[in-house]
Formats: sequence, C-alpha cells, structure tokens
Amino acid sequence: MLEALGAKVFSGIVAFSLLMFSSFEGNDPRFGPLSVTKSDSYLYLSGHLISAFDNDFPSIFSSGTPIPIHFMLNIRKGNRTLVQRRFTHTVTFDTAKGVYELNKGNGKDALLTRSVEEIIKEVSYYSFSIPYQQIWGEVSIRIQAELPKLRFDNADKDVDLMVLWKYKMPSVKSTANLLKAQ
Amino acid sequence: MKLLGFRSTVIILFLIVSIGGLMLLNTAFQAKQEDIHAAIDGMELSEQLRNVAFQNSDDSLKAGQIMRDYDSSKALLSIALGDSRVVTSVVLLLVMVASSAIFILVIIWLFRPMNELKMATDQIREGNFSVHLPDTGVREMRELKNSFNVMSRELEYIQNKLLVAEKEMIWKDLSRILAHEIKNPLTPIQLVVQRLEERFQSDPESAKDILPESISIISQEIENLRLLAQDFSSYAKVSQPDREQFNPALAIREIVKSYCQNYQIDLNLNDNLSISFDKTHFYQVLTNILQNAIDASRESDVISIDLHEERCYVVLSIKDHGSGIDPKDLQRIFEPYFSKKTKGTGLGLALVKKLCEANGAIVRVKSKKGEGSEFTVIIEEDKA
Repeated sequence: MLEALGAKVFSGIVAFSLLMFSSFEGNDPRFGPLSVTKSDSYLYLSGHLISAFDNDFPSIFSSGTPIPIHFMLNIRKGNRTLVQRRFTHTVTFDTAKGVYELNKGNGKDALLTRSVEEIIKEVSYYSFSIPYQQIWGEVSIRIQAELPKLRFDNADKDVDLMVLWKYKMPSVKSTANLLKAQ
Repeated sequence: MKLLGFRSTVIILFLIVSIGGLMLLNTAFQAKQEDIHAAIDGMELSEQLRNVAFQNSDDSLKAGQIMRDYDSSKALLSIALGDSRVVTSVVLLLVMVASSAIFILVIIWLFRPMNELKMATDQIREGNFSVHLPDTGVREMRELKNSFNVMSRELEYIQNKLLVAEKEMIWKDLSRILAHEIKNPLTPIQLVVQRLEERFQSDPESAKDILPESISIISQEIENLRLLAQDFSSYAKVSQPDREQFNPALAIREIVKSYCQNYQIDLNLNDNLSISFDKTHFYQVLTNILQNAIDASRESDVISIDLHEERCYVVLSIKDHGSGIDPKDLQRIFEPYFSKKTKGTGLGLALVKKLCEANGAIVRVKSKKGEGSEFTVIIEEDKA
C-alpha cells in the first residue's frame, strides 16, 4: 500500500519536474477500457495499452536485446487476493534480418514482422484467459503494466526502462460478477 | 497598489534569478543532448550494413555483431538521454524547492530582529520607554539592538526625571497659587480684626459703629475663599457631559439676564438653532468667558454676544472692547493657573477649554492689545 503510494508520489514529482524543466517527451501510458467476458470456466480479459510505445521504443525494440513488457493481473474479493499472475510480452529484433518477433507467452505462435508500427500495435494489445470459480461472486480486477530493469549487450549495468514511461505504472480496474450467467 | 517590502522584493528577485538561471542552463544542456542524439540517430549504420553483400559467412557474422552493438548502443543512448532528463529535472526541482525554502527561512531569520526593532520603535513612539530587545540575531543586529536598548533606557531615565520634575513643578505652582489666593482674603480679614481689637481696647463704645462694616468685609472675604475652593473643585471634577438637545439662544438669554442689570450687553442671537451640550457645562462656559469680558471692560463698554449658524456649526462669540490680551500671553491663556488678573485662580479659561472638549466643541480667541478680545465657541449643530 505504502509502496504504491510512494510510487504515485514519485511519478507525480517526476511529471511535475519534467513539465517545469524538460522537453523530454517520453511516453504517457494508459490503459483503454478493460473488456471482461467469461465462459463456463474461463474469464477472458482484453484491452489496449495506449500511448505506451510511441516515443523512443522504436530504437529500443531495434536494439536486438529482447524487451519484455510485463502485465500484472490481480483479482481480489474484498481484501483477499484470489489470483495474482504476471503475463509478459517480449519483443526481439533480428538485427541481421531486420525482423521483429513478438512473443505473448500464451502458447500461440510468435508474430514476425518488419514493421515497427505493427509490432507496437500488437504489443499494446493484451488478452488473457484465467480459470475462475463461480463462488468468487463479485470480484475486482486490476491490470497494471510495468517495464523491467534490463542489461543490454554492450552495457555493464542494468537500465530501468520505466524511465521511458516517466516512472508511471499504468493500471486499469474493473469489476465482474462471476455468479451471473454470461 | 501597495509597494512590495524589502524582504518580499529580495525573495522575488532571488527566485527569479536562481530559478531563471537554472532553467536557462537546463534548456541549453538539453538542446546539446538533443543535437548529439539526432546526430547518432541519423547515422543509420545498421541499415547500410544490412544492404552490403558480404563475401563469406564470417564477414556476415562480424557485420551482424557490429549491427547488434550499434543498435544496442542507440537504445542505450535513448534510455540514458531520457534518464538524464528525468534525473536533471527532479534534481532541479528539489534544489529549487530546498534552496527557496532555505533562502526564505534565512531571510525570515535575518529580518525578524528588524521586525522586533520596528515594534519596539512603535512602543517608544507610544511612550513606553521600558521596552527591551533580546540579544539575538547576527552580530550587526545585536549591536544595533544593544544601541537601541541603551537609548530606550536613557529615554526612560529622562522620562522619569521629567515626570518627577513636572510633578514637583505642578505642586510648587499650585502651592504658590493657593498660598497667594488664600493670603489675599486673609489680609483684609486680619486688618479688620486688628482694627476691631484696637477699637475695643481704646474706645469700646465706638467699636459698635464699625462692627457692621467689619462683618461685611469678613463675610465678603469668606465668600471669596469659598469661590476659590469652588473653582478648584470645578476644574478637578469635570464630570462626563450629560448632553441634551436645547436652544442655545434661550439658554443665553436666561444666563445673561442677571448680568444685564449691571453691564451693557448687546445680544444678537439666532433663535432657530439647536445644539447638543451639557446644560451645566454650557452655563459654566458662558459665565466664565462673560466674567472675563466684564473684568477686562470698563463700565461703559458694551459686550456683544453673537449666536449664528456657519455651515453645520453653531458659532457663539463673546466680544469685549476691553484691554485685550498681550500676543505673547495669547498662547497660554487656556493653560491652568495662568492669569494676568490681580484676582483669579487662572482656572476659568482652562475650565472652559476642558468643558468644550468634553462636549465636542472648540474654543478660540482673537485679541488685540488695547482693542478687546473675542472668544468663539464652535459647536456642532444638532439638526435631529
């Protein structure tokens, strides 16, 4: 709780500082509406991350170093956490061929493309399926995106990719009643 | 608009100069960073290498490694650039906030003694010389405060001495006046008593002849003593005015009636005026001024009393054609115990001034030596 509050305060200070003293654009990521549907056993969550990769990321994706983008899913009922999972989209660039590869870690085939615009579009779209139990009843669903600290091939220390998001962790919330028939 | 104080001006100037300077430096620094970034971005080395037809796989592998290193460096540069901007901005903000806070605290700390000094000066102005400033602040300010404390102590000492001297002088004056005024009636009483005593010893039968006259003189002098006591008592006990609305012309006619039998008094009164004044005080004011006019006039002289309206005021003027007042005495005639008459305590006009002030009126005097005097009482008209 305190950590989340601290992160919010810090991102607020960063945003204010940049507004005052810098021309640095970076990215202002935010989530579009969270779509929640369910079958008998699974809950399907999908949506878009908006304005998250427009600036600086084309050159980051083209570095050849695999770039992971983490999505943290948290399903709660009251104060109790029911599901806590992390999904990762990874973008890798084959420098010799000039081809981007996107792996969403969902068991499906990786996307291969030469277009950076397409890779940005695809990496921004998320779709998760989670098994659920009807007895959970009404739950709150929260998805948060995060960039990791990463070590590039020719660097001797980790760099925090969150700087490109101005240390702002976008999140989206929704509620769902799992007792109701779809 | 009220001008900014010195402290506010210094703070605003500091903020403008420091923040402006930092922002200018930051902008220049970022512009240079942007130039470097643009130059590296424009190289497009990977694209060029990718289009080269290499002779063997070894060359291709080496070229692939070069491209990876180059692209990785470009990515690192982008991140480093963003990182440096974020760090610079946050540090700038923190420095700005911290330096402004420290500066404002220092300014407040520096200026607090000046505020203390200002408040102390105000107290001195109000007559409180016992004010003492604490020995705090920077060295120069401590020295200034020390000088101020010495000055206030000296002023307090002088004030105390002056108060003692003034009290002593008042008592001396009062004693002198009282002694003189009591002695005046006592002398004739003593003379009459001596005369009676001598007559009784030499010719007791004829003593009866001078007895009525002697008793009359003694009674008169006792009456004078009583009036003296009454004058002092009146001056000491000016009560809170019990103001009431009345027609001043009617009151003047009533008061002057008894004087008209013995003196020539010319009345020119506007009968349609109204004032709010303590009636007893009004009587005392008029009789005191009138008595002075009578004392200064010869029997044949006419004393004029005029009552008229001037703007929103009622103006009462009593004019005599007597001896007039010396210009050098004119300033002092309303002071207590100041008198040029052979008879009198010097309290009459002082009482007039005091009573007028108590009723919100003003008394003025114009006089020319040998031609007479004119006393004017200006009272706010009560139109309600």
